[in-house]
Amino acid sequence: MSANNDEINNLLNQDYKQGFVTDIQADTFPVGLNEEVIAKLSKVKNEPEFMLEYRLKAFRHWQTMPSPDWAQLNIDPIDYQEISYYSAPKSKENAPKSLDDIDPEILDAYKKLGIPLAEQEQLAGIAVDAVFDSVSVATTFKHKLQEVGVIFCPISEAIREYPELIKQYLSSVVPVGDNFFAALNSAVFTDGSFVYIPKGVRCPMELSTYFRINASNTGQFERTLIIADEGSYVSYLEGCSAPQRDENQLHAAVVELVTLKEARIKYSTVQNWYPGDKEGKGGIYNFVTKRADCRGDNSKVSWTQVETGSAITWKYPSCVLTGDNSVGEFYSVAVTNNLQQADTGTKMIHIGKNTKSTIISKGISAGKAQNTYRGLVKVLKSAENARNYTQCDSLLVGDKCGAHTFPYVEVKQPTAQIEHEATTSKISEDQLFFCQQRGLSPEDAVSMIVNGFCKQVFKELPMEFAVEAQALLGLSLEGSVG
Amino acid sequence: MKTDISWLNTLRQNALTQFEQTRFPSQRLEDWRYTNLSAIEKKQFAFANQVETFDDTHKNHLADFMLNDCYHAIFVDGFFDALLSTLPENITVCSINEAAEHHETVLAPVFNQAIESPHGFTHFTNVHFSDGIFVCINEHSQLDKPLQILHFATQQAMSATRHVVILEENACATLIETFIGVETQTYLTSSVLEIFLNDHANLTLYKVQQDSDKAYHFGGTYVKQADNAHFTHHNFALGGLLARSEIMSHLETGAQCELNGLYLGENRQHLDNLTRIVHAKPDAVSREYYKGILNHRARGVFQGRIVVAKDAQCTDSQMNNRNLLLSSDAEIDTKPQLEIYADDVKCTHGVTVGQLDEKSIFYLQSRGIDEDHAKHILTFAFANEMVDKITVPSLHDCVFTQLLARFPQGAER
Repeated sequence: MSANNDEINNLLNQDYKQGFVTDIQADTFPVGLNEEVIAKLSKVKNEPEFMLEYRLKAFRHWQTMPSPDWAQLNIDPIDYQEISYYSAPKSKENAPKSLDDIDPEILDAYKKLGIPLAEQEQLAGIAVDAVFDSVSVATTFKHKLQEVGVIFCPISEAIREYPELIKQYLSSVVPVGDNFFAALNSAVFTDGSFVYIPKGVRCPMELSTYFRINASNTGQFERTLIIADEGSYVSYLEGCSAPQRDENQLHAAVVELVTLKEARIKYSTVQNWYPGDKEGKGGIYNFVTKRADCRGDNSKVSWTQVETGSAITWKYPSCVLTGDNSVGEFYSVAVTNNLQQADTGTKMIHIGKNTKSTIISKGISAGKAQNTYRGLVKVLKSAENARNYTQCDSLLVGDKCGAHTFPYVEVKQPTAQIEHEATTSKISEDQLFFCQQRGLSPEDAVSMIVNGFCKQVFKELPMEFAVEAQALLGLSLEGSVG
Repeated sequence: MKTDISWLNTLRQNALTQFEQTRFPSQRLEDWRYTNLSAIEKKQFAFANQVETFDDTHKNHLADFMLNDCYHAIFVDGFFDALLSTLPENITVCSINEAAEHHETVLAPVFNQAIESPHGFTHFTNVHFSDGIFVCINEHSQLDKPLQILHFATQQAMSATRHVVILEENACATLIETFIGVETQTYLTSSVLEIFLNDHANLTLYKVQQDSDKAYHFGGTYVKQADNAHFTHHNFALGGLLARSEIMSHLETGAQCELNGLYLGENRQHLDNLTRIVHAKPDAVSREYYKGILNHRARGVFQGRIVVAKDAQCTDSQMNNRNLLLSSDAEIDTKPQLEIYADDVKCTHGVTVGQLDEKSIFYLQSRGIDEDHAKHILTFAFANEMVDKITVPSLHDCVFTQLLARFPQGAER
C-alpha cells in the first residue's frame, strides 16, 4: 500500500497556488484591541451610533468569556493583542465607486485567483462582492440586482443605508454572546456581505463573495447576513484564500442566514485558506460561526462546504428549524493533509413540526492531519414527525493521520425518526486492484475512488464551484471517468 | 471496614484526597453532560451498617433473584455474607478484604490498574468500599458453574463494593452481577469491578441492574484484555431512579470484545450507559450493540466511544445503538463516537431513534391482533433480541420474566 500512499500524498501535496502576496499600500491599525480601537473602527467605517453601542456591548461581553478548548484540536494560545483589527487597501476615496477606482494590483490579484470581478466576466453570470483584508473592494452587478429589488452590498454600506434591516436581523441568529469568536467578531467585524431578497423574488444570478487576507498580522473578521423574504430564493457562493506566511493568521467570521416563509437559501463555500507548510508552520486559523434560522414555514437552507485549506478549521454551519415543514441540509467535504486539523460538522435543531434534516459529511485525512466530525441533532418536544438522516464517512490515507466522529443525538419527541451512520475506512486494495485491472493507472484509480467518495457532496455544489472543488482536491474527473 | 493493610490504606488515603477535589462528577465533564448527580449530594446518605438478621420478606426477595444453577457471592448492603454465599472450592474466590491479607502478592500489583480514566465515583468507591469479591482462576482452568455476585440493599444508606477478577492464560469463566434492593427504599450503591484477562482467557459477564425505583446506582466495569483474550458483556439496566453504568475495555493484539446492552426506562428513571473500547494493538475485534426503550418521563443516555490507537492496524469495530421512544415525555441522548488514529481499520457505527414500524403493526392488525397488543408484541420483540443472547438458563428466565412484567402482552408464557 505504501506506493499508493505516496501517490495519494503527491496528489494531495500540491503547493498552495493562491499563496502570493499583493504589494499594495494599506491603511492598517496598529496591533491591539481595546474600546478605543473599536470606537476608531466604528468611526472609520462611518457607522451610526447604534453600531458602536452594539460593538462595545459585544466587546465587554467577550472580555468575560474564556477561550474555548473543547474541540479535538491543538491550538497554540492566541494573543488577541498581537492582531491588527483593521486593514484596508489604500484608495483615493473612502469607498471605491466603480472598478476604475480599484487598485489595479488588487484586480490583478483577483485575476490570479480567477474571480470574475471585471466587467468582461459578465457572461459568467455571477455577482461578486470581493472582500480584501477587511474591506469590501467591489461589488459587481449591483445595479442589475437592484432592478429586481435584491440588495447585495458590503455590510458596512448596509449599516449606513438600511439600518432598519440591520437592527432587525443582525445578531438575531447568532446572538452577540453566543460564543467566544462570535462575540469577538461582533465587536470588531470590519466588513462582509449583506444580501436581502425581497418577497417572491428568485435571485436572477448566483451571488458570490471572495475573501482574501493579504496584509500580515491582521485578523479577518467578516460578517455575512443574508435575509430571504417570503417565497424568495438565492444561491450564494463563498470562496477564500490567503498568502503564504510563516505566522498564523486568525479568521473569525460570522455568517447569519434567515429564511422566512417558503424561502430558500443555498449557501456554498469553498474554503482554501493557506494551510501552513508541511511542518505545520503558518496557516490560517479558521474559527467560523455559521448559522441559519429557518424561521418561516416550508423554508429551506442548504449548506455545502468544501474545506481544503486552513491550518485549523473549527466550524459548524447549523440550521435552526423553527418553521413547520422546514428543511435543513448539510453537505461537507473536509480534506486535511500534513499537520492540518479540522473539527467541523453541523447542528440541526428541530423545533417545528415535520422538519427534516440531512447531513452528509465526508472527511479525508492524509499526512499527519486530524479530521473530526462533530455534529448535533436535537429534536425538541414540539418537533412532531421530525426526520433526520446523517451519514459521515471518513477516509484515511496513510497511517499517521486521525479521523474522529463525535455525533450527538438528543431526542425528546417519540414520533421523530433519526438515523445516523458512520464509517471509517481506507481506500481498499480490492477497489484499487479492480480499477487497475480495468486498465487505470494507480493514480487515476485513487483519483476516481476519492472523487466517488466525495461525489454525493460535489453534486450539491453549483457548477463553477464543483469544478474548482475537484481541482482543489488535486484530482481531475476527466482522468478518472475516461 | 477492615483497613489494617497498609498498601490498601495508602490507596484509600490517596483516593480520599482525590475525591475531596473532584467530588461526584459534575455535568461540566463531557462524559457526564447528560446526568445530574446533585440529588445524590442532597440526600446525604449515611453509610450502611452490617445487618445481623433478615426478615422473611427480605429473604424471599433475595431468593427470587438467586439463580439455582450458579455459585453465589452475596453482599448485603455492601457486606459479604458468608452464610448465604456458596463459593466454588477448587478456585481462588474470597472476599476482597480477605484477599488483601492472604493474596496480597497477586492483588496489590493489579489493584486500580484497569481504571484508565478515574473520576469522582471510582475515587468514592475506592475510599468507602466495605467489601467485594476476589476471583483468580488459574491457567487452563475454568469455573464449572457461573458465579453470581448478588448485591442486595436493605437500608436507606449508601454502600460501596470493589471487586477484582483475574483470569490467567486460557482460563474461562462466567460471572453474573445482580443488583437488587428492597422495593421503594432510597439508597445508593456504588460498585467497581476490575477485570484482568490474560492471553486467551475467556470471560462472559452479565450485569442485571434491578435496583429499587428510588435507588441511585453506579456500576463501573474496567477490563484489561491481553492478547487474544475474549470478553463478552451483557448489560441489563432495568431498575433504579438514576443509574449509571460504565464499561471500559482495553484491547491488546487479537483480543475480542463484545458489549451488549438493554436499557428499559419508565416513569422518571434516568439510565445512563457509557462504554469505551480502546483498541491499543492490532487485529482486535469489537462489537457493540445497545438497545433502549424509554417510556413515560424516562430518559436514556448512551455514550459509546471506540478509540483506535496509532498502532492498532486491522482493527475491526462496529457499534450500534437503537432506541425506541414510547412517550412524548421520554428523552434519549446518544453519542456514539469514533476516535481513530490508524488507517487500516474497519470501523462503523450506527444510531437510530424512532418508533415501531407502522407496517409491522398493520401486518399484525390484519391478522386480527388489536393495535395495543401488536405494539406490545413488537416492543417486546425489540427488547427480547438482547435477552435471547443470555445462555445461562436460570438467568434467561429471570430477565425474561422482568421483561414480560413490563410488556405483559408481549409474548406467550
